[in-house]
Amino acid sequence: MPFSLLKYGLKKDYPFEQHADLPTPTKLKASYDVIIIGGGGHGVAIAYYLAKYHGITNVAILEKGYLGGGNTARNTAVIRSNYMTPEGVKFYSESVNMFKNLANEFDFNIMYSQRGQLTLAHTDAAIRGFRQRAEVSKHFGGKTELIDPQEIKELVPTLNMNPGHLPVLAGLWHMDGATARHDAVAWGYAKGATQRGVELHQLTEVLDVIVENNKVTGVKTNRGIVKCGCAVQAVAGHSSLLAAKAGFKLPILSYPLQAMVTQPVKPFLDQMVSSSALHCYVQQTSRGEIVFGGGSDPYPLYNTRSTLELKENLLAHAIEMFPFMANLRLLRQWAGVTDMTSDYSPIMGLSPVDNYYLDAGWGTWGFKATPICGKTMADLIASGGKVPDLIAPFAMDRFKEFRQVNEMGATAASH
Amino acid sequence: MSNTMRLNKPMGLLVDHNKSINFEFDGKQYDGLQGDSIASALLANNRWLMSRSFKYHRARGPLTMAGQDANTMVQLGGEPNVLADKELIMSGQRVAGQNYSGSLVKDRDAILGYFSRFMPVGFYYRAFFKPMGMWEKWEPIIRKKSGLGKLDLDFEPEYYDKMYLFHDVVVVGGGPAGLSAALKAADAGCKVLLVEEQGILGGALAYHRFDIEGEKADILRGKLVERIEQHDNVEVLLNATCNAWFTDNYLPIIQGKRMYKARAKQCIVASGAFEQHVVFRNNDLPGIIMSSAATRLMKLYAVKPGQKAIVLTGNDDGYLTALELQEHGVEVRALVDMRTTNDSVELLTAVQNKGITVKKGHTVYEALGAKGNQHIRAVDVREIVGQGQVSQHSEIIDCDLLCMSAGYMPAYPLLCQAGAQLSYDDNSEFTLSNLPENLHIAGSVNGIYLLDTVLKDGEFAACKALKNLGHNIELPAKEKCTRKVNFYWPIFSHPKGKDFVDFDEDLQTKDIVNATRLGYRDIQLVKRFSTVGMGPSQGRHSALPTARLVADATDRTVTQTGVTTARPPYAPEKLAHVAGRIFDPVRHTAMHYRHLELGAKMMPAGNWHRPAFYGKPAERDNCMQIESQHVRNNVGIIDISTLGGIELRGPDAAEFMNRIYTFAFLKQPLGKTRYAILTNEYGVVIDDGVACRIADEHFYVTATTGGVDHVYRQMLKWNAQWRLNVDIANVTSAFAAINVAGPDSRKVIQKIAEGVDLSSEAFPFLAYREGTVAGIPARLLRVGFVGELGYEIHVPASYGEALWDAVMDAGKEFKIKPFGVETQRLLRLEKGHIIISQDTDGMSHPGEISMGWAINRKKSFFVGSRSVEIVMAREQTRKLVGFVLSKDNVKPKEGHLVLEEGNISGNVTSCEYSCAVDSIIGMAYAGINQSEPGSSIDIRVDKGLIVKATVVKMPFFDPQNKRQEL
Amino acid sequence: MKIMVCPLNGSRNISEFVYGGEVTDMPDPNNCSDAEWADYVFYSDNNIGVVREWWLHAATSYWFIAERHTGTDEIVRTYSTSEIFTKRVEFAPHPPEAKS
Repeated sequence: MPFSLLKYGLKKDYPFEQHADLPTPTKLKASYDVIIIGGGGHGVAIAYYLAKYHGITNVAILEKGYLGGGNTARNTAVIRSNYMTPEGVKFYSESVNMFKNLANEFDFNIMYSQRGQLTLAHTDAAIRGFRQRAEVSKHFGGKTELIDPQEIKELVPTLNMNPGHLPVLAGLWHMDGATARHDAVAWGYAKGATQRGVELHQLTEVLDVIVENNKVTGVKTNRGIVKCGCAVQAVAGHSSLLAAKAGFKLPILSYPLQAMVTQPVKPFLDQMVSSSALHCYVQQTSRGEIVFGGGSDPYPLYNTRSTLELKENLLAHAIEMFPFMANLRLLRQWAGVTDMTSDYSPIMGLSPVDNYYLDAGWGTWGFKATPICGKTMADLIASGGKVPDLIAPFAMDRFKEFRQVNEMGATAASH
Repeated sequence: MSNTMRLNKPMGLLVDHNKSINFEFDGKQYDGLQGDSIASALLANNRWLMSRSFKYHRARGPLTMAGQDANTMVQLGGEPNVLADKELIMSGQRVAGQNYSGSLVKDRDAILGYFSRFMPVGFYYRAFFKPMGMWEKWEPIIRKKSGLGKLDLDFEPEYYDKMYLFHDVVVVGGGPAGLSAALKAADAGCKVLLVEEQGILGGALAYHRFDIEGEKADILRGKLVERIEQHDNVEVLLNATCNAWFTDNYLPIIQGKRMYKARAKQCIVASGAFEQHVVFRNNDLPGIIMSSAATRLMKLYAVKPGQKAIVLTGNDDGYLTALELQEHGVEVRALVDMRTTNDSVELLTAVQNKGITVKKGHTVYEALGAKGNQHIRAVDVREIVGQGQVSQHSEIIDCDLLCMSAGYMPAYPLLCQAGAQLSYDDNSEFTLSNLPENLHIAGSVNGIYLLDTVLKDGEFAACKALKNLGHNIELPAKEKCTRKVNFYWPIFSHPKGKDFVDFDEDLQTKDIVNATRLGYRDIQLVKRFSTVGMGPSQGRHSALPTARLVADATDRTVTQTGVTTARPPYAPEKLAHVAGRIFDPVRHTAMHYRHLELGAKMMPAGNWHRPAFYGKPAERDNCMQIESQHVRNNVGIIDISTLGGIELRGPDAAEFMNRIYTFAFLKQPLGKTRYAILTNEYGVVIDDGVACRIADEHFYVTATTGGVDHVYRQMLKWNAQWRLNVDIANVTSAFAAINVAGPDSRKVIQKIAEGVDLSSEAFPFLAYREGTVAGIPARLLRVGFVGELGYEIHVPASYGEALWDAVMDAGKEFKIKPFGVETQRLLRLEKGHIIISQDTDGMSHPGEISMGWAINRKKSFFVGSRSVEIVMAREQTRKLVGFVLSKDNVKPKEGHLVLEEGNISGNVTSCEYSCAVDSIIGMAYAGINQSEPGSSIDIRVDKGLIVKATVVKMPFFDPQNKRQEL
Repeated sequence: MKIMVCPLNGSRNISEFVYGGEVTDMPDPNNCSDAEWADYVFYSDNNIGVVREWWLHAATSYWFIAERHTGTDEIVRTYSTSEIFTKRVEFAPHPPEAKS
């Protein structure tokens, strides 16, 4: 048994209040240097890095619900960097590296677990794309290989190599692929940020963004008006709605993304396995549950209702991949709202409003970017608007210039 | 073994007293009765221990006897997590426990319970990761302990099916409210489906006692069921679970190995209520069950749940339970009522007249376990002196059964899935609000508990449904229920813990309180931090005590705190039940079986199957070279039926073509073909084809195999806006087509063509003609995808095979050979022709692929014209180039990277060894500075090796394009 | 499953339909600014509320218009495209100076 548990257990009145991860609620101040709209993983990560690297702590995170209750709570916790474009791979690789140290940095176990991600190719076109992704990954130091059916069989012996009419021809084996306890990532960041003096205000909804002379000066909340030097929006699923309050449009459409989980069973699957042709992603959590994810819903909607048709399709394909799973019992189905851009890459950086920064367009790839997005956005805010090189390609203006960063093929059903 | 605990008839509505069934559990043989669940049969044999808990491996037995808890989860062969209180016993069945190490009775992991002090809530967030790298070592160890049952990895899926049902009214729940609602709706002429989870109708009428004499329920049940059974308008599904509510009353109902998908115009949910447990130390010992579990055991299964019982209650139902127990020979040692007064004086008197001690204002503070803690042996009863507080004075009463009830919570999951809000008022009662228009509730789920009122509430719900269906009907007055069923604070924390709030996750009161003290104050954060409510029973019992504890710890009311939401499904459902039939149709061309006869290696192309080449998979390269040489030197035939075909007819056909495709089509001459490429509104090239002008107002245009459906839909969408006078039809599957190519192709076709002059003067390159081929009406196109003299012949699909046979026959003397898609790819690569989506990607604009010539800049519009203008005016960063590499190099593969000074500048899109050029040839995106012919480009191939290729002008073969124009 | 009422085929499961994007006005492609054009191509209001959308009944290749609430998913009304596209569309030619 680890020493830390003995220590906790032997203390008579555990937990001491000073052991609290999150402070008790306080009053809102009249003004802050930085207001972060959205207390999800991204929002608290920005706050954490502002405090840690830039000493900026007169910061308020305003969250309309509870900490990490949006897509941070709803995603399937995939961490990977096997994208297609050099811009994307460079960015996500940095994030994967940062994840590895987070637990020790937070003094809070986020249960980061490197399991490797295997994506299946069923057509020659998929093999071409996978080879390119493997090559780009390796170019930037990642561990990714295109592997053949024999190697797949050895890696995941339980996988059906001939699912339906789509035989497995090859696989993209991304050894850097990992998972972590998604909630814990947000809690760890919140803990680190609030311990450094940042304020986290839950149940605090931003009703309007106050813009004067094309410059953000404050926000109106359900708890009153709060002034700010600058503000950043990190409200995945609702980015367009908030941007509209600040007075501009985004190149985003919001779609539900559904996922589901089974009852826990004894571990049999280490890797995360996905197939975009089968619209299916499978992973076993550390609790023993099997998590399934698939493609986004077929039309935009700000609603987290579940549908039977998605579940039927997804599970039919899951059983094709792992036939014995037919005996498993599904426990829960849920959904999140994802902000999809047309090039399947995020939007980070400046907005048309001065001192108002964007952390948006995270579609189905937001969780994995939490550390690096938080860090680069903090750099951007601390420098008063100097865009870090790593996120420059993801500026919203790329659409005005028709310079998209196309990750369409590298995001389908792999999250 | 004898069933020592069996009661006589008429107890046991679900079992057949005369049919004994033998089965195995945990390595021992047991006898049960037909109709028994695994759990009831085991209890009849006095076997209570059925499972080990998730975290502390505590001994667990049945709790609800209704499939609403995780305590009875067992392993049934290769199937894990089967609910023993739902699953019927079968002869010879082998059932085992799960989640133990050693045996179920002697689980070595039970020692974990003693260390619970060292595993406070969320302990795993605080440990195992220091120093850096430790987590990697701990994780596999912890992981092994996770999960419950074991999945049989060799299990082959069995046959499960689906069926659609359509009804005016679907009633979920066959209890008094549901029966009454169903009858009301059926009487009004509606087609009604009644869905009941149990094997018999009646719900609580089948097991609950409603009056002192214990007669009322049976009589009422008899009457209602008889009427239902005789009603032509009611269809009943028994042993069926409505497992979710989806938009527009779309209801998955699981029964046996089938999932019905019922569509209800109106849906009435009368799903009843979940009885709630009382929180005290060791409240999870086997022998401690819900009051309703005890009455279910007696009335449904004829099982006497114990010899000496304590009844612990927060409402009057406990008195009725005590009467029921006593009547069947269970000695009720005490009735412990947490309230200080009860509602009904008659009930109190009746109980006391039976000699039962009633202890008002008392609670069970702790349950004491028999040796080994595998069954309850006594309770510590104390007076309640404040909220959750008890006096120092303790009274120990021996017992082997404790029936508890803190009250009821509506069976809310289906309704919350439908968007309803569950609120809990300060009188400790629930309401559900915000229901969709065509969804109604009745009975205890609606907070109505008095039997007569319940019946009226069922009718009320039916009336609302009838009104929505257009019936002219007066709504009766809304029923109200004054009866209180929930005790306000049935939680008695114990300094030594094991006072479980959540049995699934082994969570005690201090775990919930400590979560709030650690800063996780929101109910959702408490849930996520502590995992309360996340186990198999999804918070049916833990939600309410958790909300109460959190409210108390954070100085809020339960209403302010809220209860967590419910997500589908209602009860855990097998993947086999849900998984749909996969509808991914595969399409075959008319010549499909000819290809198989010729030994083709088939490959998917969109949803078609096409020959890749003819020969063994292992001989791919050789086959391709032979086939391509044959096309170059003799004549080859390829099935191109999968190519998309779209017909455009009408006065505006040319104008429409002109707006859709990038090139100019207004002046395209009759009998001529023209290359057509299509951009989307982003200016990205998305499809290409050949447009034939058949008449002034008639075009026939081809599209790619994978792209035609999208192209066709986009055409229709654009014309819905433009309103041009043109008729658009997707004729892809109406035509079969072949391409006969090679120097001898004219000679072959000449033999069988009629009504068309094939001479190069009469039918030149890029011309379109009609005639007959082997007597089949045909469209002939002279196009040059593979760069040889050749004819595309398009005929009605039904003639496809005949055409193939005729051409193969005519070609015999010229040694005609079929060739496949892979060979065609090589041939077109030699000619520098691109394949959309292989040589283009989601960003390729016409300039990047040197297709500027195919853009007509004079016309006022084509789809994507403005975007193409913008991107082409911008500084270019990459270009698709042709490259050659001497054949002794390692062959680059498609997807390998092109480098410029070590940085990625592009990627290989097509690459193959060409016999005709005697080199490795390919296409790749390269940096703009690398794109001039003569430049050298670095390509990183397998194992990181760099090869240097030379950029050349395409085509690689027959640069003057003479061969195709013969 | 959600039901959609197709103006041509009546009530059908929504899985038979394909979403075709919001109904938006195309700016004059030959005379608008690059920014206006990019706005049309990439940007969206993406509001919560009733939105006018393109939908296709896949089996019959029939496009129509639906007014749908993007928060509740309620389909308020569906109707033929001819209700909003009433006359033949012509495109203004390139302004002479824009030709290259």
